[in-house]
Amino acid sequence: MSFIPGHPVTAVVQRIEIHKLRDGDNLILGFSIGGGIDQDPGQNPFSEDKTDKGIYVTRVSKGGPAEVAGLRMGDKIMQVNGWDMTMVTHDQARKKLTKKNEDVVRLLVTRKSLETVVRQSMMQH
Amino acid sequence: MFCRNQTARATIARGSALEMEIRRGKFRQSVFMESPQDSDIQKKIDYEIRMREGACKLLAACSQRDQALEASKSLLTCNARIMAYMSELQRMKEAQVMQRVARRSSDAGPMDDRSPCKAKVAISDLRIPLMWKDTEYFKNKGELHRCAVFCLLQLGGEIFDTDMVMVDRTLTDICFDNKIVFNEASPGFELRVELYSCCSEEDYSAGNTPRKLASKLSTSLGRSSGKKMRGTLEPGACSPTSNGGGAAILLPVPSVPGPKYHLLAHTTLNLSHVQDSFRTHDLTISGNEECSFWLPLYGGVCCRLAAQPRCMTQQMMSGCLRVKLGGEPQGWTNVYGVLKGTNLFCYHQKEDMEANVEPVLTIGINKETRIRAAEKDPHSKAQNICISNQYGGEEVTHTLAADSREDTQLWMEAFWQQFYDMSQWRQCCDDLMKIELPSPRKPAIVTPKQGALYHEMVIDTSDDIGTVTDILARRIEEFELRAQLGSPPHWMSLFDEDPPRSPHNHQHLPPHSPSPCHRTPGLLSSNASLTSDSDSPVSVSPCFRQAWSPDTSSSSGRFRPRTLSLDAKLSTLRGRGYGGFRCNCQPPTAGSGSPRPTQTALFCSSSTSSSSSSEGSNSQESDLGFSRPSGARRSLRNLRAKLDPRNWLQSQV
Repeated sequence: MSFIPGHPVTAVVQRIEIHKLRDGDNLILGFSIGGGIDQDPGQNPFSEDKTDKGIYVTRVSKGGPAEVAGLRMGDKIMQVNGWDMTMVTHDQARKKLTKKNEDVVRLLVTRKSLETVVRQSMMQH
Repeated sequence: MFCRNQTARATIARGSALEMEIRRGKFRQSVFMESPQDSDIQKKIDYEIRMREGACKLLAACSQRDQALEASKSLLTCNARIMAYMSELQRMKEAQVMQRVARRSSDAGPMDDRSPCKAKVAISDLRIPLMWKDTEYFKNKGELHRCAVFCLLQLGGEIFDTDMVMVDRTLTDICFDNKIVFNEASPGFELRVELYSCCSEEDYSAGNTPRKLASKLSTSLGRSSGKKMRGTLEPGACSPTSNGGGAAILLPVPSVPGPKYHLLAHTTLNLSHVQDSFRTHDLTISGNEECSFWLPLYGGVCCRLAAQPRCMTQQMMSGCLRVKLGGEPQGWTNVYGVLKGTNLFCYHQKEDMEANVEPVLTIGINKETRIRAAEKDPHSKAQNICISNQYGGEEVTHTLAADSREDTQLWMEAFWQQFYDMSQWRQCCDDLMKIELPSPRKPAIVTPKQGALYHEMVIDTSDDIGTVTDILARRIEEFELRAQLGSPPHWMSLFDEDPPRSPHNHQHLPPHSPSPCHRTPGLLSSNASLTSDSDSPVSVSPCFRQAWSPDTSSSSGRFRPRTLSLDAKLSTLRGRGYGGFRCNCQPPTAGSGSPRPTQTALFCSSSTSSSSSSEGSNSQESDLGFSRPSGARRSLRNLRAKLDPRNWLQSQV
């Protein structure tokens, strides 16, 4: 995935559907996010491009709904339930993920390995 | 009826020629030779000049900023003292000249006049509140604007300076601990309090800059900084003293490089401000925001100004008396009377008084007392003295008699003087005000005065809040360093392998998890440190903010001092420590399938549920069993976390 500011992003994405786990009054997903347009992108350990202000998955709880659904640490979240996550603030991203009336979130995530896999498979042909 | 001779008494200005005339006795020799007072003052002036030379040399020689500030302060004090002595000298010379003129014309008759007794005036616990605006916080983010301030106190011919205090954004009040006592004050005294400040920024110590370079720098810098530079390079501390007549010594004022103090505020206190408790007085502020030495003063100064007139502390009169005690109409008892303060103590004998035995009789002498000389007693040679007091509606009269007429006259005179003093010193004579003698200077262990909470912290150096902030920060760093002795951040290992294989890694991680957990308080403290209250003691939520700095070793230089109340800092410090200890006690249950921790105990602040952070993450995670904190708290935390651009926030969802 190449990230050039001002240009549309093309990326190989994976669709991940996470069913929130109800814990009393809370709905938890079981992962943590970092990043946002209001954050300092240089501190993001997962991004390839250190100017990338996207939302990244920084931690996935073991056995949690996110892990079960296939989310991995280091993934960049592109969309949540149709909402764009590439140009949002940290808090906006968090809010989109934690809506109380939604039991399921459908994410579009991308990671480096996806692109490698696709490229490899394309080369084979 | 005791009557003060109003017509005969005129108000005479202190230090005026006429007053000198009255004290003719002392000054008679001065016509022919230099009076002892003159030579006293001359000696003092010489001493101060020597001190000033020393201060100038020190200022030129010292390299440390603190030393330079101290030397500059002593220089200013010496200059002020020299000026005061010189003006006093001039006044005395003038008086002598006037006196000679007056004697020749002989128009001043003998004055039967009283002068009030002197008093000890003490000022202590000076506190000047500051009023920092929000803009101060967000302006120079990098450096801290610091000023060195001190107070100069002048009463009559005595000038004292307080210790120097460094002031910056973290201080809410400027406190001076010095107790200053002036010994010879008259009722019309004027105590002038002046606050001097000097900007203390490293860039502007132009001590060693050669002039040409300095002027080049000052012109090539920006407008405001150039102005500041030029200000510090201006020569001359104070205006040269020039006396009109008399013994004028025109002192060349040396122009010294180095920090220069400017008058920031001043006020004048007098008898009406004297009280046994703390009072706030208004300050007149000079300077404006553009000055380098500017500090946002609230506009008042709080202090305790007490006065002890001599009539309250010393025996004004003592001698043998005869008192008519109740019961025997004709019987006289011999007593030894002592007039002191608001009482006339009558002891059996003089030795009793020295032995501190209780007096036989105590007669109150205050503003309400009436004293009169009674008609001549046919038996005795002298008049009786009747002292009447009102004790709750009843009038009680004591009759005293002295041994001879002269004694009676002396006693009456003493009473008159006492009344006069009391009328002059007004509220100071109601009760004796305590004045503590200033203790000899020693490096004392001072605890900050701001409340009981702060007494828990042992601060072994100065009492500045800035130092306290530093101490807290150092403690946090030490904690971090200790915590970092463990393994490198675990996520580094994950970069070597593909993410899908992370379950494999988990088996390695449990042994690591204690140390990341141990590290977590430290990491959390890293750059959020003293500023963000993301670990406020009570709030925990699934979604609380965390700060993550992968480069924790450089965090020491990162924290930005902010004006936070000290107890907020202390509670975060405690909470952090508490959280850290807590997490050590919990065995990581990395293998548990449940994402939720088994512990549901409430942790103080940085709660670390190690079980759920099975990946040994280096960030903290709260107990998932908690409800979200109140919106207000969260929004405040959000705001603080957002405002600090150095954080790279992570949120748990």
